[in-house]
Amino acid sequence: MRLGALLAVGVMCTPLVARAQEDVASAAGAAPEPAPVATSGGSAPAPPSSGTPTPPAPEPIEIAVVGRHRASRDRSADTSLIEGQRLRDSPRPSTFEAIAQQSADVYVPGRGALHGVAGGGTGGIRVRGLGGSPNSQVLVVEDGVPDYQGIFGHPIPDAYVPFLIDDVLVVKGGDSTLYGTNAMGGVVVIRNRWREEDGQELMSDSAVGSYATVRETVSGLARVGAWDLAGGVHAMRTDGHRDGAGGDQLIGSAAARYRFTPHLTLTARHKVVHLDGADPGPVTHPTPEHWYDVWRDTASLRLDWRRGRLRLGMTPYLNVGVHELFDGFRSVDHVGGGVAEAEVRAGSITDFLIGTAWQEVGGRVDNRITGERPSVSGMTDVSAYGQVDVRPVERVSLVVGARELLSSSHGAVLLYKGGARWSPFDGLALHTRVSRNFRQPTIRELYLPYPTANPDLRAERSLNWDAGAGHVSEHLELSGSGYRTEATDLIRYFGSWPTAEVVNVDHVVIWGVEGSVGLKRLGPASLFVTGNWQDVGRYTRQNPEAKLDFTLEVGDDLGVGFLGGSVSGEWVHGLYMGDYSRQPIDDVFAMDLSLRYRHESLERGTSLEPYLLVRNLLDRRYAYVEGYPMPGLNALIGLRIGV
Amino acid sequence: MRPVGLVPCLAMAGCDLAYPEVVVTNQTAETVELRRVSFNGCAWEGVLAFGDSTSPGRCLPGEDRVHLQRLDTAAYCRDQVEDGTIEDLCPCEGNFGGAGPLEGLTNAEPRWFNYQTVSTWTVRYGECYHFEIALSELEQDFSTPGPYGH
Repeated sequence: MRLGALLAVGVMCTPLVARAQEDVASAAGAAPEPAPVATSGGSAPAPPSSGTPTPPAPEPIEIAVVGRHRASRDRSADTSLIEGQRLRDSPRPSTFEAIAQQSADVYVPGRGALHGVAGGGTGGIRVRGLGGSPNSQVLVVEDGVPDYQGIFGHPIPDAYVPFLIDDVLVVKGGDSTLYGTNAMGGVVVIRNRWREEDGQELMSDSAVGSYATVRETVSGLARVGAWDLAGGVHAMRTDGHRDGAGGDQLIGSAAARYRFTPHLTLTARHKVVHLDGADPGPVTHPTPEHWYDVWRDTASLRLDWRRGRLRLGMTPYLNVGVHELFDGFRSVDHVGGGVAEAEVRAGSITDFLIGTAWQEVGGRVDNRITGERPSVSGMTDVSAYGQVDVRPVERVSLVVGARELLSSSHGAVLLYKGGARWSPFDGLALHTRVSRNFRQPTIRELYLPYPTANPDLRAERSLNWDAGAGHVSEHLELSGSGYRTEATDLIRYFGSWPTAEVVNVDHVVIWGVEGSVGLKRLGPASLFVTGNWQDVGRYTRQNPEAKLDFTLEVGDDLGVGFLGGSVSGEWVHGLYMGDYSRQPIDDVFAMDLSLRYRHESLERGTSLEPYLLVRNLLDRRYAYVEGYPMPGLNALIGLRIGV
Repeated sequence: MRPVGLVPCLAMAGCDLAYPEVVVTNQTAETVELRRVSFNGCAWEGVLAFGDSTSPGRCLPGEDRVHLQRLDTAAYCRDQVEDGTIEDLCPCEGNFGGAGPLEGLTNAEPRWFNYQTVSTWTVRYGECYHFEIALSELEQDFSTPGPYGH
């Protein structure tokens, strides 16, 4: 690798170190240790950050890379950490699909440029067999705020765009002890960026492509005096690859952080999402008139105080949405609450985390055509939780935690977990964890006739176990895990209107193994392969038996700029549209191509990055969902400009 | 990037313009109307009278049957005259007259039934197809795809 590319990697690594140290401080509330961090998805000689060109570091910066588990607040959890830049460069159409490309035990079906909502919606995340459609068993947490729709209990997959994402942490096996309801199969923790040094940067990303797709993103970061500012707007419109597959996506985000003192900060965030599209319907019977219109607005505050070995934090939040559908359906929902946490390091071997949380979920539903207004009741819960991380001997962490949750609809719920992590030597880590998780029924499942409801539903519970090992060295990244998920009282819909029912089902056990291999910086190339196999038992609907993702990246500094590209692909096997292995559908296999050239002018402080994304490179006919074929060969041409 | 490099890129970006174009013509019978005509991702609005054609639609490459809803206006007319729901003489053959509408037992709403072509057609990139729908080519369509999602 030429010196320039090495410098580029060094520049890219700088914020990693900063972030990792912040994570350590966040997790331990005390003096940070050396930063053991790795990124899933390989560490290719990818182009450096698309922000403002940073003056070249005098020397490449070395970082110690020990394992991929460090960025989690629970050292024993099995996680994947994905850089925001990797998501921004991904050829996959959505952020969730880009995340699934990096971790084979995460499955996200698609149907085209947009996932949509309601009937025909895709984008439900499954992690190790739990989750799916609707995706209420995997919790998305954005900047400390649980993000889901109040009535239906799932995140909106089209509401996440990576322009400000610093990184995404996927906690496999869930963690209801730390995150509460819905963190049953997994947690997707999204952390957005701040600028680390004084100054400002502006990035514009414009792209046009197949199906009359136009995409524009403008984002900016600034650090001025005691203020940190971050904001951006993303707009995308497309006709889609068939009637009804198009739509509009408008997402605006703004955040401000004020540092009263070096120890005390107040952060305000606001995000607005507008989605407009349709359910194209099965390809044989299109329904382009089945439109939807979604507005969502999320606001939060975060007060942080750090001093020595102690950190205190408080985060009130409110998430409000209005969803309207073609058939007259309209819902106004809200999820509001607050989290207060304290983290303290006692001595050199014990980290304590204690917290309390309150959440209220509610809303109203009506039909603008028929005037019907089903009666719904909101749900409130309060909880107290704690986690202890003990390091009795060097390189060994023991983690235990518990949460007592009091729900207005389900009474007291006890959640707990325990795990261990052992790093016998640098570069190798072994981990295991057991976690008791739960999900409360959604308002829809309890009260709304879509197609039926059952107010007597019990909360879903699961006991998730995993054990695995990971090795990371300069050119090699290996990891593997075995997992077992035992779930009771899963909520399932059976039949169709007027004989449909929604009930708790008995007992489900899912076994699986997951692994990944990364060959990094072998000359100009890197290769990353991740695979997953699982036995999901009877509930096979959109719960694939096997999945494999690969990414081959090649890049080098040409002296005048960085030229890089990647070929990535996904294979999904054992897909069914029904439970009990009914309605099998063909295996999914598709490949994408990404090419980009990055030129930076340090004198002008600008960067130019033209890129080309080619999706479905082999023009294969495939579908994740029966009747919803994915687009054929299509392309997007774009230009990023950084100032 | 040199301008010559843009050509293949733009060509790829517009590759959906090479999707097969499909036109469907109602050649069933003078008294049969078609609506909700669809083929492999294309959906056409409006009602096709005998001899009418859809506008050209860019459909996905691949194979499918033409799906549609059909109304036999002559049969509808006869039924309404039998039930006496139409006051004036019906211009249909065979005016049976009627005893007047039987409350609750008659339905003046025309009923459209789901049909599909017996044959499956394959369409490919860059080509234009013209499908003429004949009565002998139709069979009832009992496939009722359920919605995916929630």
